[in-house]
Amino acid sequence: MILDAVGSNTVVYGDGPCAMCAIRNIKLPNFSIHFSFAADGATGIVAGLRAKGREDITVVSSAGDGSIGDISLGKVSAAAERNENMIQICVDNEAYMNTGIQKSGLTPFGAWTTTTPRGKEAMKKDIPMIIAAHKPPYVATASVAYPNDLKAKLRKAKEIKGFKYIHTVIPCPTGWRFDPAKAIEVTKLGVDTWVWPLYEIEANILKVNSRSEQKPVREYLDAQGRFRGMSPEQIDFLQGETDTRRKNLLDANGKRLFL
Amino acid sequence: MSFTRMMEGNEAAAWSAKLSRAEVIPAYPITPQTELISSLASMIADGKMKAEYIKVEGEHTAMAAAIGASVTGARVFTASSSQGILFMEEPFWMPPGMRLPIGMCIVNRSIAPLGTLRPDHMDSMLQRDTGWIQLYCEDSQEVLDTIIMGYRIGEDKRVYLPVATCYDGYFVSATATPTNVPDQSEVDDFLPPYKHEWYSLLPEDFRMHGRETNMAKARYEVQQAQETAKAVIEEVEKDWKKRFGRYYDGMIEEYQCKDADAVLMTMGSMTGTARDVVDEMRANGKKIGLIKLRCFRPFPREELRRIAKKYKAIGVADRNTSFGSAGGGIVATDLARALYDIDERPVIADFHVGLGGTDVTMNQIEYMAKQTLRAAKAGKFKKAVDWVEFHDLGPVM
Repeated sequence: MILDAVGSNTVVYGDGPCAMCAIRNIKLPNFSIHFSFAADGATGIVAGLRAKGREDITVVSSAGDGSIGDISLGKVSAAAERNENMIQICVDNEAYMNTGIQKSGLTPFGAWTTTTPRGKEAMKKDIPMIIAAHKPPYVATASVAYPNDLKAKLRKAKEIKGFKYIHTVIPCPTGWRFDPAKAIEVTKLGVDTWVWPLYEIEANILKVNSRSEQKPVREYLDAQGRFRGMSPEQIDFLQGETDTRRKNLLDANGKRLFL
Repeated sequence: MSFTRMMEGNEAAAWSAKLSRAEVIPAYPITPQTELISSLASMIADGKMKAEYIKVEGEHTAMAAAIGASVTGARVFTASSSQGILFMEEPFWMPPGMRLPIGMCIVNRSIAPLGTLRPDHMDSMLQRDTGWIQLYCEDSQEVLDTIIMGYRIGEDKRVYLPVATCYDGYFVSATATPTNVPDQSEVDDFLPPYKHEWYSLLPEDFRMHGRETNMAKARYEVQQAQETAKAVIEEVEKDWKKRFGRYYDGMIEEYQCKDADAVLMTMGSMTGTARDVVDEMRANGKKIGLIKLRCFRPFPREELRRIAKKYKAIGVADRNTSFGSAGGGIVATDLARALYDIDERPVIADFHVGLGGTDVTMNQIEYMAKQTLRAAKAGKFKKAVDWVEFHDLGPVM
């Protein structure tokens, strides 16, 4: 789907098991290293293509949440600072799923993993806003439950020169503890409850893509086994945080961020 | 136009990267490599060199970006030292396994704790098992020549391995010696543009090597490439000699070795001092010689076995150590293995000198030479591993 949107004149760079397996069998030129290598190999590819006079080729770099949220955050930050001409995608399934469900910096508050058996105590890192604070030309959040929105963002990113960051949530039924048949339904709830709001930041101006209506956070939590251990107080806390973020985003909609 | 002037090692390396027409240079500064990359940054900014300079945020990214650019089909140059080499360790393994002929300089510097900015060979020697070719240089001219030759060696399709040109911080990096900078067109004739037959990331010509799933086979291929490189190194150096008149005797250089009973083995900057001491001792009738180990990986096993029977004792000056190992110094240990099963083998001693970048003084070299001569007579060394700095041999800086 992602590659369908960016077209065939593309080189794909991936790292981290989930992100890497996803691109390994595609028909486009592709190359992967490990998850401690987000954006950096792609930086070399961009420079190599420029040295060869092939700036017509789109470079897509893909990495997981453990990569971008933890071990390679500095790499993505530096690529954003240098404004490398690439689309950096974060494939966020909210834990180290390939190693068997361990907590990452992008695991949400309250979620069970094998390294947070009583639920994660810290909040999910707000990576899209961290990247946006670097003021690259384009930052967006997306969800596979809203494919047209995701594709439109990719098409837009392809036309912009410089560093583009698209952070998409992708469910992992095994790690999130739900029936795979409900993958889209559950992921859609994440957006509809504003736990994972959709927005884009183009030239530092925020545009909220999520509808302003909001379902209770509880509906999203109840659909998954990983949040089963959360206390009512924790759920209230998360609802409060989500509401605050929703209000802040809607207040800032159409405005310039990070003045 | 070719010209000659006094030049520090780092500046010579920068000239060499320029003459090699490196196309992508991802680099991160670290003492004592800094002047090398700042020289390149200036050359590129002033329009004197055409290359993509990537100001990366760390050495891990420097090597990772080097890999990305090399796969894309660009000639890549980078450089680092000490802690930077250690920070690069994870991506460092990939160019040999992927068979990417990246060129880099390791400007030798010792490693923390008790960190100093001065050189020993621990940083590069810790990479000895990765599959990189490692060439050690004595002065600015050798640095300049070796980087260019390194690309010819590494990019040879019989080899396809990355090449590290190693030279001591300060003693080479910041010491000016007369250096000839050859004409660009002559270098172009010697070193054709980089084209890797196994890789391309262009959509119209996508080729990707390196999906060998049998680990033993993949490792064996790198070992074979190291073996093949030995002949290629000789070949390339001879071609360099023919075109530019300078020759480094291939993987090892024998100096004043005629009729010698005993030889010292040195690497890098200490070799210059050792030449003077050997000359002096020769003048006094002592039958001492010198072997400069220029190529550490691949280790010149066959050549050393061929010449070793001429000598009764070899004293290795190891500017490194391997704690808890069988031998102590890394070079002496490799040498002992190389010579173990020949019929007439010399006795081998391992001298530890210049660790942490202390001077290797003339007195120390004379001490090592005398011990080696004595061992040639006695048939054994007093000490298998001798930490030379602990003997009272005059001031050591």
